[in-house]
Amino acid sequence: MKSLIQKLTEAYAPAGHEDVVRDLVRAEIRSLVDSVSVDALGNLIAVRKGQGRGGRRVALAAHMDEIGLIVSHIDSRGFARVTNVGGVRPLYAAGGRVRFTNGAIGVIGVEMRRERPDHIPALSDLFVDFGVSRAADVPVRVGDVGAFMGAYAELPGGRIAAKSLDDRIGVVVLIETLRRLKRSPHEIAFVFTVQEELGLRGAGPAAFAVEPEVVLAVDVTATGDTPNSVRMAVALGGGAAIKAKDTGMLVDPRLRDLLIQRAKEARLPYQIEVLEGGRTDAAEMQLARGGAIAGCVSIPCRNVHSPVEVVDLGDVEAAIGLLVATLSKPMDSLVIGD
Amino acid sequence: MSGHEHPVRDVIAGVWRGLSDEIRVDPLGSLIALRNGRGRKPRLKIMLAAHMDNIGLMVAGHAGEFLRVSAIGGIDARVMPGQPVTVHGRRDLPGLVVAPPDFLLPSAQRGGVALVPELLIDLGLGAAEVAAQVRVGDVVSFAQLPLAINGGLLASPALDNRASVAAVTVCLEALADRSHVWDVLAVATTQEEVGLYGAQTAAYALAPQLAIAIDVTFGTGPAARDFADRTYELGKGPTIAFGPNLHPVLYKHLSDCAERCGHPFQPEPVAAHSGTDARAIQIAREGVPCALLGIPLRNMHTPVEVVHPQDVYTTGRLMADFIAGLTPDYLGRLARELD
Repeated sequence: MKSLIQKLTEAYAPAGHEDVVRDLVRAEIRSLVDSVSVDALGNLIAVRKGQGRGGRRVALAAHMDEIGLIVSHIDSRGFARVTNVGGVRPLYAAGGRVRFTNGAIGVIGVEMRRERPDHIPALSDLFVDFGVSRAADVPVRVGDVGAFMGAYAELPGGRIAAKSLDDRIGVVVLIETLRRLKRSPHEIAFVFTVQEELGLRGAGPAAFAVEPEVVLAVDVTATGDTPNSVRMAVALGGGAAIKAKDTGMLVDPRLRDLLIQRAKEARLPYQIEVLEGGRTDAAEMQLARGGAIAGCVSIPCRNVHSPVEVVDLGDVEAAIGLLVATLSKPMDSLVIGD
Repeated sequence: MSGHEHPVRDVIAGVWRGLSDEIRVDPLGSLIALRNGRGRKPRLKIMLAAHMDNIGLMVAGHAGEFLRVSAIGGIDARVMPGQPVTVHGRRDLPGLVVAPPDFLLPSAQRGGVALVPELLIDLGLGAAEVAAQVRVGDVVSFAQLPLAINGGLLASPALDNRASVAAVTVCLEALADRSHVWDVLAVATTQEEVGLYGAQTAAYALAPQLAIAIDVTFGTGPAARDFADRTYELGKGPTIAFGPNLHPVLYKHLSDCAERCGHPFQPEPVAAHSGTDARAIQIAREGVPCALLGIPLRNMHTPVEVVHPQDVYTTGRLMADFIAGLTPDYLGRLARELD
């Protein structure tokens, strides 16, 4: 699994440019599903039919895209100004490297303000330096999109640091779930979405097409266990996070309780998540057509939206185990109309 | 409470079942009661949408023997300290919302209002007992009881928007012995307070030709003279809203109907997004002509919301009179008068 995480996090897929990751995912899952399709927005939708009776139509969603930058202006000396593609944090961007679709690499510098030398930079204070001296030599154009670079690293304690673990780790969880799920009564659509970082833009149309009865997103969530962190009862290494609430959804309590029950039965570590700032694809997918029962299995992640996002492999394993345990059995407690 | 409407839905279903021909619950939990019209099939459908969810709190974490909370919907933090609440843990537990001492607040909040992330719930139990009884994700509701105050007014938590659910009930009761051509879909929607979610999916599934959303609006209250153009008097009938979120001809017809039938009402300009289910329904599918009735209410999003019960009755009867007057060719009339 580590090599899959490395391969996927090293891949380039800023929102709206997910084709590299989509090709990698398709190659991993093609032999494991009954059908694979790509929709007009670029969502990859792989369906595995259910076996036996009593199954539901379930959609699992993980987004392929990552945050990035888009070139807004190039000055006469060859410095590019950029604006955000998704929730870029200028503090994390400063001092970083950015790779563009054509392979060009630039480093991110910060304006020095003599009058405010210690101010926290805004995105408008940053510039991309391609190592050239004239606008004519800049290898990108206005409108070109880039993604941050951040090397994959294995940390002691079974933890991984990399860029774009948000949400390649969710993509890995879906792929591994597909590999390990031997038999399920449910027809399951594995939906690898696009443009989540721009406002969940891929997920709604995908759910409209798939028409799920039950939706589960798999995405990262914040943690409350670092120095002066947000106050949050989720810790790295505390197990899969079963969402109760975030900014975009209130999880149907029956689905939350079903996930808790399956985690207990399988003796998997879990924690319950209330996230104050953030949404997942499930928020949009629950609203497609006449609606769906929706929840989310989250992977705790430190430094979200940075080149050094950190996840714990034990949490990843717990999330895979939880999905396999949940999808292997009927979901009789989720009665629409009860 | 939003996302946890099951208890109130059971109560409403108990009343609406006897007033409708079919009743069901949709995937997001909205309650849908159908009263068949007398016209020939396929009949046209009018949707009456009143959200049944209310704001509240959710347990976000443990802090020793206290609980931290997260807001469900637009909580007014100013009135939270001192509120009695019920924590719906493994069993229902009485608790109090408390604010930490001023000097323990983040500097920006000192001397001012303690915001929801700083508030705590005291259950009077030890840390071990609290941990055993309450999980992160458990919901917390306001425990103040309804109170009849002077002037025939009623004070209670959750009158936003149970007052409107009551108005829809009045409408269904009034229609019980009247003939109406159109089908009536009474919908108690879910998750309005967190994003109009239940109305969005119900409107898609039901595909009505017309809709009336019923919600509360700002009643005259403290300092109301300064906001006379934005508040409405209690006891003077519902507001009928007009503006881009609402259909102008439907607004006119509802107002005409109110005048003809002797129902008091107050016109309410809504310059943009109404912030009500009408917004979600208006843009469902290819679009739905929408009207919005507002029951004037004081102290919105506090546990002491106040309404005049007479406005609830008026709202229900106005809807019944309007629905009884709907003809099979009404949509044509609506389109013609728009030109």
